[in-house]
Amino acid sequence: MPRSIRASGWGHSMAETYGRELRRAGADANSPVRRLVLLLRRYPLGAAGAFILTVFVLAAIFADAITWLDPLRTNAPEKLMVPGGKHWFGSDVMGRDIYSRIVFGARISLAVSLGATTLGSVLGVAVGLASGYLGGTFDLCVQRVMDVLQALPLLVLALVTSAALGPSLTNTVIAIAIPMIPASARVIRSNTLALREAAFIEAAQVQGMSEWRIAIRHILPNTVAPLIVLATAQLGSAILTEASLSFLGLGIPEPAPSWGRMLSESAAEYMRTAPWLVIFPGAAISLMVFGTNLLGDALRDILDPRQRG
Amino acid sequence: MAMKQLGLGGLSLALALVGSVAGAQTPKSGGTLKIYQRDSPASASIHEEATFSNNVPFMGIFNNLVIFDQHIAQNSPDTIRPELADSWAWGDGGKTLTFKLHPGVKWHDGKPFTANDVKCTIDLLQGKLADKFRKNPRKSWYDNVQAVVPNGDLEVAFKLDRPQPSLLSMLASGYSPIYPCHVSTAKMRTSPIGTGPFKFVEFKQNEDIKLVRNPDYWRQGRPYLDAIEFPIITNRATAMLAFMSGKVDITMPTEVTQAIRRDIMKQAPKSVCMTAPTNVGLNLIVNRNKPPFDNADLRRAMALTIDRKAFIDILFEGEADMGGALLPQPEGIWGMPKDMLATLPGYSPDVAASRTAAKALMAKTGYGPDKHLAIKVSTRNLATYRDPAVILLDQLKEIYIDAELDVVETSVWFGKIDRKDYTVGMNLTGNAVDDPDQSFYENYACGSERNVTGYCSPELQKQFDAQSQETDMAKRKQMVWSIDAQLQNDVARPTIVYGRAATCWAPDVHGYTAMTNTSYNGYRFEDMWLDR
Amino acid sequence: MSGYLLRRVGLMLLTLFGISIIIFVLLRLVPGNMVDILFDSAGMVDPAEKTRIAAELGLDKSIPEQYLVWMNGLVHGDLGYSYVSEKPTIEEILPRIPVTGRLALSAIGFAVLLGVPFGVISAVRQNSGVDYGLRVLSLAGLSIPSFWLGLMVLMAFSALTGRLPVYTEAPATVLDAVLLVAVPAMTVGFRSSALIMRLTRSAMLEVLRQDYVRTARAKGAGAGRVNFHHALRNALLPVITVIGLETAFLIGGLIVTETVFNIPGLARFLVESIRNRDYPIVQNLVMLTAFIVVSINFAVDLLYAALDPRIRLGA
Repeated sequence: MPRSIRASGWGHSMAETYGRELRRAGADANSPVRRLVLLLRRYPLGAAGAFILTVFVLAAIFADAITWLDPLRTNAPEKLMVPGGKHWFGSDVMGRDIYSRIVFGARISLAVSLGATTLGSVLGVAVGLASGYLGGTFDLCVQRVMDVLQALPLLVLALVTSAALGPSLTNTVIAIAIPMIPASARVIRSNTLALREAAFIEAAQVQGMSEWRIAIRHILPNTVAPLIVLATAQLGSAILTEASLSFLGLGIPEPAPSWGRMLSESAAEYMRTAPWLVIFPGAAISLMVFGTNLLGDALRDILDPRQRG
Repeated sequence: MAMKQLGLGGLSLALALVGSVAGAQTPKSGGTLKIYQRDSPASASIHEEATFSNNVPFMGIFNNLVIFDQHIAQNSPDTIRPELADSWAWGDGGKTLTFKLHPGVKWHDGKPFTANDVKCTIDLLQGKLADKFRKNPRKSWYDNVQAVVPNGDLEVAFKLDRPQPSLLSMLASGYSPIYPCHVSTAKMRTSPIGTGPFKFVEFKQNEDIKLVRNPDYWRQGRPYLDAIEFPIITNRATAMLAFMSGKVDITMPTEVTQAIRRDIMKQAPKSVCMTAPTNVGLNLIVNRNKPPFDNADLRRAMALTIDRKAFIDILFEGEADMGGALLPQPEGIWGMPKDMLATLPGYSPDVAASRTAAKALMAKTGYGPDKHLAIKVSTRNLATYRDPAVILLDQLKEIYIDAELDVVETSVWFGKIDRKDYTVGMNLTGNAVDDPDQSFYENYACGSERNVTGYCSPELQKQFDAQSQETDMAKRKQMVWSIDAQLQNDVARPTIVYGRAATCWAPDVHGYTAMTNTSYNGYRFEDMWLDR
Repeated sequence: MSGYLLRRVGLMLLTLFGISIIIFVLLRLVPGNMVDILFDSAGMVDPAEKTRIAAELGLDKSIPEQYLVWMNGLVHGDLGYSYVSEKPTIEEILPRIPVTGRLALSAIGFAVLLGVPFGVISAVRQNSGVDYGLRVLSLAGLSIPSFWLGLMVLMAFSALTGRLPVYTEAPATVLDAVLLVAVPAMTVGFRSSALIMRLTRSAMLEVLRQDYVRTARAKGAGAGRVNFHHALRNALLPVITVIGLETAFLIGGLIVTETVFNIPGLARFLVESIRNRDYPIVQNLVMLTAFIVVSINFAVDLLYAALDPRIRLGA
């Protein structure tokens, strides 16, 4: 492989990276199960992160099966119940079950964070590919727009955007996705620039492949690894941003059980008399983000050995 | 009289009043009183705003012509006292109201107060001057005032189109300060000038409001306090902690919920807490000009499914009352008797029976278990609006109405309501004065700006005017009850409940009386003192 | 060098210009408007009054016209009037700067004090139990939303001490004054300290592997002295990097923390102003934020070049 690619640090395909990584771990690369076990053993923290996320994903999918109370059902006689008994995590001021709300809240948190990260990455990839591949004035203009988006703190831009769009699930996804575009666009762009010079791309060009086909068939797959690392990191900040927006009253509206929303106003009001209203939603946010961070760290180690600590 | 909950366990109401009214002990002068303020008022101009977030910090700057006695908990026409006016008299068959003004009163900037200032204030409210209020929410209070005519510096007459005994009550409200002629409305919004016991010092948005004693106050020996500070603390739990740890002397009036009251009694057991109605009604605004609720049966079905007890228990832990258009008895003066109330749709204690009737009405219009009615319930993005809306959603399910919550930002809410772009809305309406004119003309009269539903019944309009002119109180009550019942039967704007809330103060705070039928009128603060 | 500087300053200005357009357009996209917010507390009023206010505030002009008015003001140092308080924007913003500045600086100070030593320890004891423990802790630090941490700290504080690190008045004692800044600063700085720790750790690891450290060791310098004397100097870079990277995050943290602790600073003011659709305040605050972020990044680049000869400007 040409030196220029290696220098860029992202030149290896995912399969190649995997293979090398596994060989280093002493795996016989034949059995997929064995491979997985070895990976998990080599990266116990990453495995823990994957486990935490899996639990949340399963909870979100099977929310109906693992809860017994409607998260939206108000119940006067059972307001502000202490955790225990029927209400594992207690109940809120309207008698709604906190456990159910946390479980169903996982759906919202995952939907928003996955939605925003995917949307941000897809747009970022498109922009980055176009920018890196087309170059010239187009690239210059796009870079300036990215500068603009990056000069504003994620939360500030998301705050203004969600105020502009109004509170709803879709709008929250958009508000969080937009500030995420520059990061993935930049990664894709620099890789595209490096790869453009690569021998196999030249070969493809010589063979008469169209520019777009080259971009999609050859360049994109070679940038998947850094993109995954980035997306995992962004997943965590998307969860946190959604929680912050909802906490500030601009994210997901009631009565949807958003964790951030559960922590706002009324919970803060009862933090002395009913601390469980504050403890559980916050713990859920922290745990989920912790999971993505653990997983993200491990993925970075696997896919981007250059940054290995 | 008022049913009150007293912080100090079993003490009687009488004792509480003695404890709270100045006079039980000799008042001491001096000291700075700290009252926490729940939010940043939009401006300092009382006439331009319609929330008690304005009255609490700014009422002390001003005087009215007349004022409800600050130490009688229940405002009524009988408790109106002289303030800038030493006396008043009705003449011309109830069509002229003449005030004799107190001599020697000065504005905070030293200029003399005269009858012309009274005229200016009312002219401003009626939009007759070149300088205009940005907002004028209580313009309708003065619809019946033809002209204000000064007679020299110390006498002023209100000429009315028709007799209106309630005008005096409205003039006695905290919402009716007299403004100076010589100060622009813009200045009144940012650094107001009044004749009152306290002078304005500063208002820092989201930080604090400060008032200082007016040394030249026309009432001798008042006020007792050197200064009042209102630190703005938006998080209620934080604010209450500040009270418990002694950083503020008194909570913002009516901001203490029952759960917090219990916490306060545990943490700071010597505090005095009073629970009283706020005269803020939770109500549904129903769009009767658009399907589905242009159908009277569906409106009635919705009214029937409301379980008011559940609202009372969930939102207020039992501390709330069912009522119609006017605050219920005994704190309310004009509320319907309980047995009359129980005959209205949705007020019966037998909720199951009401819901059966509601389901029958739904079936009549073609809705049932197999065919649900889908609607949106709009509400503002504020906890006090959202929480009851969530409960309503739950109750509507019982009669096959699948409602979705449409949470609307404040910036959009009024425009949306104005365009009638809603089906049902959860709304809060505060009544400054416990008075039928105020309630009927503001909320139900044809063409009134604050009548957000656009409800208009020419027949009732006539009855509004008839009761308004009635001087016999007992007769007027009968008329008011009948109107109220018609409004509820017509599902004009079903009132759900009137909440109660508590106010707590440190044991060394004296001279404060928590009002029981208003949360807008009791903040002159000139008799308050600290026992330190 | 000066050519590079000029180019960078030019780019900064271009970026700020872009931000001004984006923010302006976004704010004008907001459904409903300022006038309705002003009317919020007054309830329903006469539509004629609304039109009059819109005209008074210049909101009846076309959007490009409004933009030009704003830009023209900015160039002449006139930031306009807050719609809500009717005070000059500058009078609303200036007094809040020290409040937020103090909090932000204390947060960074706290983050450095906590992050650097732990980062060094973690690197020196690479792959030990201590290292693992610290790494997990730092990841936890990156995972806890600062508003939740703030609420928990408040809860613990009031339960344990009965004190309350919340702005309600001028602090009475020195301890109060310190607590008022320190507690929220720790809440905000916790995240940054985790990041600093991680970066310090990897920078240290790299340095420890390098020749001159080995040489120093070979010369017989004590391990502890080598670690801290030679290596710590290199930890300066990660700290600077973090400050560059974290400015944006820090501002996010300040927004929620000022809300939780009732601190009358700029960040909370921004949220309130967004809610109030107080355009002059929001526009100028966002511009200020962007200006801070852009200049800090610029300063970090310059510092980097000054500290690390391996990096050339303009590369």
